[in-house]
Amino acid sequence: MEDLKAYIESGVLELYVMGDLALTEQREVELMAAQHPEIKTELIQIEKSLESYAETNSIEPAEELRDNILAKMYNSSSSEAIVVPMSSTGSNNISFYKYGFAASLAFLFISLAALLIVYNRLQDSKQQLSQLQVANQTYASRVNLLDKQLGYSNVALTVLKDPGFTYIDLKGTAGAPKAKLLVAYNSDKKEVMIDLASMKMPANDTSHQYQLWAMVDGKPVDLGVFDSSTDSTGMIRMKAITNAQAFAVTLEPKGGSVNPSMDQMMAMGSV
Amino acid sequence: MALKRKIKLTESELLTALEGRERIASEALYDMYSASLYGVIHRIIQSEEIAEDLLQDTFVKIWNSFPSFDSSKGRLFTWMVNIARNLAIDKIRSKEFRNQSKNQDIENSVNSIDTYKATFINPDTVGVKELVEKLKPEQKTILDLVYFKGYTHVEASEELGIPLGTVKTRLRMAILSLRGYFN
Repeated sequence: MEDLKAYIESGVLELYVMGDLALTEQREVELMAAQHPEIKTELIQIEKSLESYAETNSIEPAEELRDNILAKMYNSSSSEAIVVPMSSTGSNNISFYKYGFAASLAFLFISLAALLIVYNRLQDSKQQLSQLQVANQTYASRVNLLDKQLGYSNVALTVLKDPGFTYIDLKGTAGAPKAKLLVAYNSDKKEVMIDLASMKMPANDTSHQYQLWAMVDGKPVDLGVFDSSTDSTGMIRMKAITNAQAFAVTLEPKGGSVNPSMDQMMAMGSV
Repeated sequence: MALKRKIKLTESELLTALEGRERIASEALYDMYSASLYGVIHRIIQSEEIAEDLLQDTFVKIWNSFPSFDSSKGRLFTWMVNIARNLAIDKIRSKEFRNQSKNQDIENSVNSIDTYKATFINPDTVGVKELVEKLKPEQKTILDLVYFKGYTHVEASEELGIPLGTVKTRLRMAILSLRGYFN
Protein backbone atom coordinates (compact mmCIF):
# COMPACT_ATOMS: atom_id res chain seq x y z
CA MET A 1 0.00 0.00 0.00
CA GLU A 2 2.82 2.36 0.79
CA ASP A 3 4.28 1.53 -2.61
CA LEU A 4 1.04 2.48 -4.32
CA LYS A 5 0.91 5.79 -2.47
CA ALA A 6 4.48 6.57 -3.50
CA TYR A 7 3.66 5.59 -7.06
CA ILE A 8 0.65 7.91 -7.10
CA GLU A 9 2.62 10.75 -5.57
CA SER A 10 5.53 10.39 -7.98
CA GLY A 11 3.52 12.38 -10.51
CA VAL A 12 3.77 9.71 -13.21
CA LEU A 13 -0.03 9.44 -13.46
CA GLU A 14 -0.33 13.13 -14.28
CA LEU A 15 2.27 12.76 -16.99
CA TYR A 16 0.40 9.73 -18.32
CA VAL A 17 -2.83 11.68 -18.62
CA MET A 18 -1.05 14.54 -20.36
CA GLY A 19 0.48 12.17 -22.91
CA ASP A 20 4.01 12.85 -21.70
CA LEU A 21 5.31 9.31 -21.15
CA ALA A 22 7.34 6.92 -23.27
CA LEU A 23 5.54 3.85 -24.56
CA THR A 24 7.03 1.46 -21.98
CA GLU A 25 6.06 3.77 -19.09
CA GLN A 26 2.55 4.05 -20.53
CA ARG A 27 2.22 0.25 -20.57
CA GLU A 28 3.38 0.17 -16.95
CA VAL A 29 0.77 2.71 -15.86
CA GLU A 30 -1.96 0.83 -17.75
CA LEU A 31 -0.90 -2.41 -16.09
CA MET A 32 -0.91 -0.81 -12.66
CA ALA A 33 -4.32 0.73 -13.27
CA ALA A 34 -5.75 -2.62 -14.32
CA GLN A 35 -4.41 -4.29 -11.16
CA HIS A 36 -5.11 -1.53 -8.62
CA PRO A 37 -8.50 0.19 -8.50
CA GLU A 38 -6.96 2.99 -6.40
CA ILE A 39 -4.72 3.94 -9.29
CA LYS A 40 -7.60 3.71 -11.74
CA THR A 41 -9.64 6.04 -9.51
CA GLU A 42 -6.72 8.41 -9.17
CA LEU A 43 -6.29 8.52 -12.96
CA ILE A 44 -9.97 9.30 -13.48
CA GLN A 45 -9.75 12.09 -10.90
CA ILE A 46 -6.77 13.61 -12.71
CA GLU A 47 -8.53 13.32 -16.08
CA LYS A 48 -11.67 14.95 -14.77
CA SER A 49 -9.79 17.87 -13.24
CA LEU A 50 -7.89 18.53 -16.43
CA GLU A 51 -11.10 18.18 -18.42
CA SER A 52 -12.70 20.84 -16.19
CA TYR A 53 -9.63 23.00 -16.52
CA ALA A 54 -9.83 22.76 -20.30
CA GLU A 55 -13.50 23.64 -20.08
CA THR A 56 -12.67 26.70 -18.03
CA ASN A 57 -10.30 27.77 -20.78
CA SER A 58 -12.65 26.89 -23.60
CA ILE A 59 -13.23 29.21 -26.54
CA GLU A 60 -16.44 29.04 -28.51
CA PRO A 61 -15.53 28.50 -32.21
CA ALA A 62 -17.36 30.49 -34.89
CA GLU A 63 -20.87 29.16 -35.38
CA GLU A 64 -20.63 28.62 -39.14
CA LEU A 65 -17.79 26.18 -38.50
CA ARG A 66 -20.17 23.58 -37.04
CA ASP A 67 -21.88 22.55 -40.28
CA ASN A 68 -18.61 22.55 -42.24
CA ILE A 69 -16.85 20.34 -39.76
CA LEU A 70 -19.78 17.94 -39.40
CA ALA A 71 -19.97 17.65 -43.20
CA LYS A 72 -16.22 16.98 -43.37
CA MET A 73 -16.50 14.28 -40.72
CA TYR A 74 -19.08 12.42 -42.79
CA ASN A 75 -17.37 12.87 -46.11
CA SER A 76 -13.98 11.91 -44.76
CA SER A 77 -14.97 8.28 -44.20
CA SER A 78 -15.73 7.70 -47.88
CA SER A 79 -13.37 10.21 -49.45
CA GLU A 80 -10.19 8.29 -48.67
CA ALA A 81 -11.11 5.49 -51.08
CA ILE A 82 -11.81 7.98 -53.84
CA VAL A 83 -8.77 10.19 -53.43
CA VAL A 84 -6.24 7.53 -54.43
CA PRO A 85 -7.59 6.63 -57.90
CA MET A 86 -8.34 10.29 -58.59
CA SER A 87 -4.80 11.36 -57.89
CA SER A 88 -3.42 8.55 -60.06
CA THR A 89 -5.64 9.42 -63.02
CA GLY A 90 -4.73 13.03 -62.39
CA SER A 91 -1.04 12.29 -62.75
CA ASN A 92 -1.75 10.16 -65.83
CA ASN A 93 -3.61 13.06 -67.33
CA ILE A 94 -0.78 15.39 -66.52
CA SER A 95 1.79 13.15 -68.17
CA PHE A 96 -0.54 12.67 -71.14
CA TYR A 97 -0.84 16.43 -71.54
CA LYS A 98 2.89 16.79 -71.00
CA TYR A 99 3.71 14.39 -73.83
CA GLY A 100 0.91 15.76 -75.95
CA PHE A 101 2.27 19.25 -75.53
CA ALA A 102 5.81 18.16 -76.37
CA ALA A 103 4.57 16.33 -79.48
CA SER A 104 2.56 19.35 -80.59
CA LEU A 105 5.56 21.57 -80.14
CA ALA A 106 7.79 19.23 -82.17
CA PHE A 107 5.16 19.02 -84.90
CA LEU A 108 4.92 22.81 -84.96
CA PHE A 109 8.67 23.18 -85.46
CA ILE A 110 8.75 20.58 -88.23
CA SER A 111 5.82 22.29 -89.95
CA LEU A 112 7.53 25.67 -89.71
CA ALA A 113 10.75 24.27 -91.17
CA ALA A 114 8.86 22.61 -94.02
CA LEU A 115 6.95 25.81 -94.67
CA LEU A 116 10.21 27.77 -94.87
CA ILE A 117 11.71 25.32 -97.39
CA VAL A 118 8.60 25.38 -99.56
CA TYR A 119 8.48 29.18 -99.38
CA ASN A 120 12.12 29.45 -100.54
CA ARG A 121 11.46 27.08 -103.43
CA LEU A 122 8.42 29.10 -104.43
CA GLN A 123 10.50 32.27 -104.48
CA ASP A 124 13.12 30.53 -106.70
CA SER A 125 10.41 29.35 -109.06
CA LYS A 126 8.90 32.83 -109.30
CA GLN A 127 12.28 34.30 -110.13
CA GLN A 128 12.95 31.69 -112.79
CA LEU A 129 9.49 32.26 -114.24
CA SER A 130 9.99 36.01 -114.56
CA GLN A 131 13.42 35.44 -116.14
CA LEU A 132 11.81 33.09 -118.67
CA GLN A 133 9.06 35.61 -119.38
CA VAL A 134 11.64 38.30 -120.08
CA ALA A 135 13.57 35.95 -122.38
CA ASN A 136 10.34 34.96 -124.08
CA GLN A 137 9.42 38.59 -124.72
CA THR A 138 12.88 39.27 -126.11
CA TYR A 139 12.47 36.35 -128.51
CA ALA A 140 8.97 37.41 -129.46
CA SER A 141 9.99 40.96 -130.31
CA ARG A 142 13.02 39.65 -132.17
CA VAL A 143 10.74 37.32 -134.14
CA ASN A 144 8.40 40.23 -134.88
CA LEU A 145 11.28 42.33 -136.12
CA LEU A 146 12.61 39.54 -138.29
CA ASP A 147 9.13 38.82 -139.62
CA LYS A 148 8.67 42.47 -140.54
CA GLN A 149 12.08 42.61 -142.19
CA LEU A 150 11.26 39.36 -144.01
CA GLY A 151 8.06 40.98 -145.30
CA TYR A 152 10.01 43.99 -146.61
CA SER A 153 12.62 41.71 -148.15
CA ASN A 154 9.94 39.65 -149.90
CA VAL A 155 8.32 42.79 -151.37
CA ALA A 156 11.72 44.08 -152.47
CA LEU A 157 12.53 40.68 -153.93
CA THR A 158 9.23 40.55 -155.86
CA VAL A 159 9.93 43.98 -157.29
CA LEU A 160 13.51 43.12 -158.17
CA LYS A 161 12.55 39.80 -159.83
CA ASP A 162 9.87 41.48 -161.96
CA PRO A 163 11.41 42.41 -165.37
CA GLY A 164 8.60 44.97 -165.98
CA PHE A 165 10.09 47.37 -163.44
CA THR A 166 12.44 50.11 -164.36
CA TYR A 167 14.48 51.96 -161.77
CA ILE A 168 14.73 55.66 -161.65
CA ASP A 169 17.27 57.41 -159.42
CA LEU A 170 15.89 60.70 -158.21
CA LYS A 171 18.78 63.06 -157.61
CA GLY A 172 19.04 66.02 -155.31
CA THR A 173 18.26 69.48 -156.51
CA ALA A 174 20.14 72.66 -155.65
CA GLY A 175 18.04 72.94 -152.44
CA ALA A 176 19.06 69.46 -151.24
CA PRO A 177 22.08 68.30 -153.16
CA LYS A 178 22.59 65.09 -151.17
CA ALA A 179 18.99 63.91 -151.52
CA LYS A 180 18.47 60.56 -153.24
CA LEU A 181 15.48 58.30 -153.84
CA LEU A 182 15.07 55.08 -155.83
CA VAL A 183 11.72 54.73 -157.61
CA ALA A 184 10.68 51.42 -159.20
CA TYR A 185 8.14 51.92 -161.99
CA ASN A 186 6.17 49.33 -163.93
CA SER A 187 4.34 51.13 -166.67
CA ASP A 188 2.42 48.01 -167.78
CA LYS A 189 1.01 47.31 -164.32
CA LYS A 190 0.92 51.03 -163.41
CA GLU A 191 2.83 50.29 -160.23
CA VAL A 192 5.09 52.74 -158.42
CA MET A 193 7.26 51.68 -155.49
CA ILE A 194 9.81 53.68 -153.56
CA ASP A 195 12.72 52.12 -151.66
CA LEU A 196 12.87 53.63 -148.17
CA ALA A 197 15.94 51.58 -147.25
CA SER A 198 18.19 53.25 -149.78
CA MET A 199 16.49 56.66 -149.49
CA LYS A 200 18.64 59.60 -148.53
CA MET A 201 16.36 62.48 -147.80
CA PRO A 202 16.68 64.98 -144.92
CA ALA A 203 14.32 63.96 -142.06
CA ASN A 204 11.02 65.86 -142.22
CA ASP A 205 9.38 67.47 -139.18
CA THR A 206 5.91 66.56 -137.92
CA SER A 207 4.09 69.37 -139.77
CA HIS A 208 5.58 68.45 -143.19
CA GLN A 209 5.71 65.37 -145.40
CA TYR A 210 7.40 64.49 -148.62
CA GLN A 211 5.13 64.18 -151.63
CA LEU A 212 5.94 62.15 -154.78
CA TRP A 213 4.85 63.55 -158.11
CA ALA A 214 4.79 62.06 -161.61
CA MET A 215 5.23 64.30 -164.64
CA VAL A 216 2.69 63.27 -167.31
CA ASP A 217 2.78 65.36 -170.45
CA GLY A 218 4.39 68.23 -168.55
CA LYS A 219 1.83 68.22 -165.69
CA PRO A 220 2.51 67.05 -162.12
CA VAL A 221 0.28 64.20 -160.85
CA ASP A 222 0.10 63.43 -157.11
CA LEU A 223 1.37 59.93 -156.18
CA GLY A 224 1.04 60.18 -152.36
CA VAL A 225 3.06 61.26 -149.39
CA PHE A 226 5.77 59.59 -147.32
CA ASP A 227 7.99 60.30 -144.34
CA SER A 228 11.72 60.16 -144.02
CA SER A 229 13.33 59.11 -140.79
CA THR A 230 16.57 57.30 -139.90
CA ASP A 231 14.85 53.95 -139.26
CA SER A 232 12.78 53.91 -142.47
CA THR A 233 13.01 50.52 -144.13
CA GLY A 234 11.46 48.42 -146.91
CA MET A 235 9.63 49.38 -150.06
CA ILE A 236 6.22 51.05 -150.08
CA ARG A 237 3.66 51.18 -152.86
CA MET A 238 2.55 54.57 -154.10
CA LYS A 239 -0.50 55.51 -156.25
CA ALA A 240 -0.82 53.97 -159.71
CA ILE A 241 0.14 55.95 -162.78
CA THR A 242 0.65 55.40 -166.55
CA ASN A 243 2.70 57.39 -168.95
CA ALA A 244 4.96 58.95 -166.39
CA GLN A 245 7.90 60.64 -167.99
CA ALA A 246 9.57 61.87 -164.80
CA PHE A 247 9.24 61.72 -160.99
CA ALA A 248 9.84 64.44 -158.44
CA VAL A 249 9.71 64.91 -154.68
CA THR A 250 8.66 68.12 -152.94
CA LEU A 251 8.34 68.96 -149.26
CA GLU A 252 4.70 69.86 -148.57
CA PRO A 253 2.55 70.61 -145.52
CA LYS A 254 1.43 67.40 -143.78
CA GLY A 255 -1.10 65.46 -145.86
CA GLY A 256 0.21 66.82 -149.18
CA SER A 257 -0.86 69.57 -151.58
CA VAL A 258 -2.94 69.60 -154.79
CA ASN A 259 -0.15 71.32 -156.69
CA PRO A 260 3.53 70.93 -155.94
CA SER A 261 5.40 73.80 -154.32
CA MET A 262 8.11 74.16 -156.93
CA ASP A 263 10.45 76.07 -154.61
CA GLN A 264 10.41 73.02 -152.29
CA MET A 265 11.59 70.59 -154.98
CA MET A 266 13.97 68.18 -153.25
CA ALA A 267 14.79 65.57 -155.90
CA MET A 268 13.83 64.55 -159.37
CA GLY A 269 14.69 62.14 -162.22
CA SER A 270 13.44 61.15 -165.64
CA VAL A 271 12.26 57.70 -166.72
CA MET B 1 -23.89 32.49 -26.13
CA ALA B 2 -25.13 30.07 -28.75
CA LEU B 3 -28.78 30.41 -29.61
CA LYS B 4 -29.00 26.94 -31.07
CA ARG B 5 -29.82 24.19 -28.63
CA LYS B 6 -26.80 22.00 -28.18
CA ILE B 7 -26.95 18.26 -28.05
CA LYS B 8 -25.67 16.69 -24.87
CA LEU B 9 -25.35 13.01 -24.10
CA THR B 10 -23.90 11.11 -21.21
CA GLU B 11 -20.47 9.68 -21.84
CA SER B 12 -21.79 6.11 -22.19
CA GLU B 13 -24.58 7.22 -24.56
CA LEU B 14 -22.03 9.08 -26.62
CA LEU B 15 -19.67 6.11 -26.79
CA THR B 16 -22.46 3.79 -27.95
CA ALA B 17 -23.55 6.28 -30.61
CA LEU B 18 -19.96 6.76 -31.74
CA GLU B 19 -19.49 3.01 -32.15
CA GLY B 20 -22.60 2.92 -34.33
CA ARG B 21 -21.26 5.94 -36.26
CA GLU B 22 -24.62 7.63 -35.78
CA ARG B 23 -25.08 11.15 -36.97
CA ILE B 24 -26.17 12.29 -33.54
CA ALA B 25 -22.82 11.11 -32.19
CA SER B 26 -20.86 13.52 -34.37
CA GLU B 27 -23.19 16.40 -33.48
CA ALA B 28 -23.03 15.65 -29.75
CA LEU B 29 -19.27 15.28 -29.97
CA TYR B 30 -19.00 18.68 -31.58
CA ASP B 31 -21.47 20.43 -29.30
CA MET B 32 -19.99 19.00 -26.13
CA TYR B 33 -16.29 19.36 -26.87
CA SER B 34 -15.62 21.86 -29.68
CA ALA B 35 -15.18 24.82 -27.31
CA SER B 36 -12.79 23.00 -24.99
CA LEU B 37 -10.74 21.58 -27.87
CA TYR B 38 -10.72 24.90 -29.70
CA GLY B 39 -9.48 26.56 -26.50
CA VAL B 40 -6.55 24.15 -26.37
CA ILE B 41 -5.75 24.56 -30.08
CA HIS B 42 -6.06 28.33 -29.97
CA ARG B 43 -3.63 28.50 -27.07
CA ILE B 44 -1.01 26.80 -29.25
CA ILE B 45 -1.85 28.48 -32.58
CA GLN B 46 -2.81 32.12 -32.37
CA SER B 47 -3.95 32.38 -35.98
CA GLU B 48 -7.72 31.97 -35.98
CA GLU B 49 -7.74 30.64 -39.53
CA ILE B 50 -5.20 27.91 -38.86
CA ALA B 51 -6.77 27.08 -35.50
CA GLU B 52 -10.12 26.60 -37.22
CA ASP B 53 -8.53 24.31 -39.82
CA LEU B 54 -6.93 22.34 -37.03
CA LEU B 55 -10.22 22.04 -35.16
CA GLN B 56 -11.67 20.51 -38.31
CA ASP B 57 -8.70 18.13 -38.70
CA THR B 58 -9.08 17.17 -35.06
CA PHE B 59 -12.74 16.22 -35.38
CA VAL B 60 -12.14 14.34 -38.62
CA LYS B 61 -9.36 12.40 -36.97
CA ILE B 62 -11.43 11.70 -33.84
CA TRP B 63 -14.30 10.49 -36.01
CA ASN B 64 -12.15 8.24 -38.19
CA SER B 65 -9.85 6.81 -35.53
CA PHE B 66 -12.54 6.28 -32.94
CA PRO B 67 -12.24 2.47 -33.36
CA SER B 68 -8.75 2.72 -31.88
CA PHE B 69 -10.05 4.46 -28.74
CA ASP B 70 -9.84 2.16 -25.72
CA SER B 71 -12.13 3.31 -22.91
CA SER B 72 -10.37 1.04 -20.43
CA LYS B 73 -7.24 3.16 -20.76
CA GLY B 74 -8.82 6.52 -20.13
CA ARG B 75 -11.61 8.97 -20.66
CA LEU B 76 -12.77 10.05 -24.09
CA PHE B 77 -11.86 13.69 -23.51
CA THR B 78 -8.30 12.82 -22.49
CA TRP B 79 -7.89 10.90 -25.74
CA MET B 80 -9.42 13.73 -27.81
CA VAL B 81 -7.42 16.51 -26.21
CA ASN B 82 -4.23 14.58 -26.92
CA ILE B 83 -5.20 14.33 -30.61
CA ALA B 84 -5.94 18.07 -30.76
CA ARG B 85 -2.74 19.00 -28.95
CA ASN B 86 -0.57 16.73 -31.10
CA LEU B 87 -2.04 18.06 -34.36
CA ALA B 88 -1.51 21.64 -33.21
CA ILE B 89 2.04 20.98 -32.09
CA ASP B 90 2.88 19.15 -35.34
CA LYS B 91 1.55 22.19 -37.15
CA ILE B 92 3.46 24.78 -35.16
CA ARG B 93 6.68 22.80 -35.55
CA SER B 94 6.17 22.27 -39.31
CA LYS B 95 8.42 24.07 -41.75
CA GLU B 96 5.39 25.43 -43.58
CA PHE B 97 4.09 27.11 -40.44
CA ARG B 98 7.45 28.57 -39.48
CA ASN B 99 7.94 30.07 -42.95
CA GLN B 100 4.41 31.32 -43.00
CA SER B 101 4.32 33.24 -39.80
CA LYS B 102 8.00 33.96 -39.07
CA ASN B 103 6.41 33.54 -35.74
CA GLN B 104 7.42 34.13 -32.23
CA ASP B 105 9.12 31.21 -30.60
CA ILE B 106 6.99 28.86 -28.62
CA GLU B 107 8.51 30.10 -25.38
CA ASN B 108 7.72 33.71 -26.19
CA SER B 109 4.13 32.96 -26.91
CA VAL B 110 3.48 31.54 -23.45
CA ASN B 111 3.36 34.90 -21.79
CA SER B 112 1.69 36.75 -24.62
CA ILE B 113 -1.07 34.17 -24.78
CA ASP B 114 -1.94 34.44 -21.14
CA THR B 115 -2.57 38.15 -21.39
CA TYR B 116 -4.14 37.92 -24.83
CA LYS B 117 -6.40 35.05 -23.97
CA ALA B 118 -7.61 36.46 -20.70
CA THR B 119 -10.57 37.99 -22.48
CA PHE B 120 -11.39 34.73 -24.19
CA ILE B 121 -11.91 32.70 -21.04
CA ASN B 122 -15.32 31.13 -21.23
CA PRO B 123 -17.72 33.45 -19.41
CA ASP B 124 -20.14 30.57 -18.95
CA THR B 125 -17.74 29.15 -16.43
CA VAL B 126 -18.17 30.82 -13.08
CA GLY B 127 -15.52 31.31 -10.50
CA VAL B 128 -12.61 31.77 -12.86
CA LYS B 129 -11.17 34.28 -10.50
CA GLU B 130 -11.23 31.92 -7.56
CA LEU B 131 -9.60 29.24 -9.66
CA VAL B 132 -6.80 31.55 -10.65
CA GLU B 133 -6.37 32.53 -7.03
CA LYS B 134 -6.27 28.93 -5.93
CA LEU B 135 -3.59 27.98 -8.48
CA LYS B 136 -0.21 29.38 -7.52
CA PRO B 137 1.46 31.26 -10.38
CA GLU B 138 4.30 28.74 -10.65
CA GLN B 139 1.73 25.91 -10.74
CA LYS B 140 -0.27 27.62 -13.44
CA THR B 141 2.85 28.27 -15.50
CA ILE B 142 4.00 24.66 -15.47
CA LEU B 143 0.49 23.30 -16.00
CA ASP B 144 -0.14 25.54 -19.00
CA LEU B 145 3.26 24.81 -20.44
CA VAL B 146 2.75 21.02 -20.37
CA TYR B 147 -1.01 20.68 -20.75
CA PHE B 148 -1.71 23.46 -23.22
CA LYS B 149 1.61 24.04 -24.96
CA GLY B 150 2.63 20.42 -25.29
CA TYR B 151 6.00 20.75 -23.58
CA THR B 152 7.34 17.50 -22.21
CA HIS B 153 8.22 17.69 -18.53
CA VAL B 154 11.89 17.45 -19.61
CA GLU B 155 11.52 20.46 -21.90
CA ALA B 156 9.62 22.34 -19.21
CA SER B 157 12.40 21.71 -16.71
CA GLU B 158 14.94 23.12 -19.17
CA GLU B 159 12.72 26.03 -20.05
CA LEU B 160 12.06 27.04 -16.47
CA GLY B 161 15.49 26.04 -15.16
CA ILE B 162 14.10 23.81 -12.41
CA PRO B 163 14.88 20.13 -11.68
CA LEU B 164 12.75 17.38 -13.21
CA GLY B 165 11.51 16.26 -9.80
CA THR B 166 10.29 19.75 -9.04
CA VAL B 167 8.46 19.86 -12.37
CA LYS B 168 6.65 16.65 -11.54
CA THR B 169 5.79 17.76 -8.03
CA ARG B 170 4.51 21.13 -9.16
CA LEU B 171 2.39 19.49 -11.85
CA ARG B 172 0.89 17.15 -9.33
CA MET B 173 0.24 20.01 -6.91
CA ALA B 174 -1.37 22.04 -9.64
CA ILE B 175 -3.70 19.22 -10.56
CA LEU B 176 -4.49 18.56 -6.92
CA SER B 177 -5.48 22.22 -6.62
CA LEU B 178 -7.76 21.78 -9.60
CA ARG B 179 -9.30 18.69 -8.05
CA GLY B 180 -9.88 20.52 -4.84
CA TYR B 181 -11.48 23.35 -6.75
CA PHE B 182 -13.68 21.38 -9.14
CA ASN B 183 -14.88 18.62 -6.80
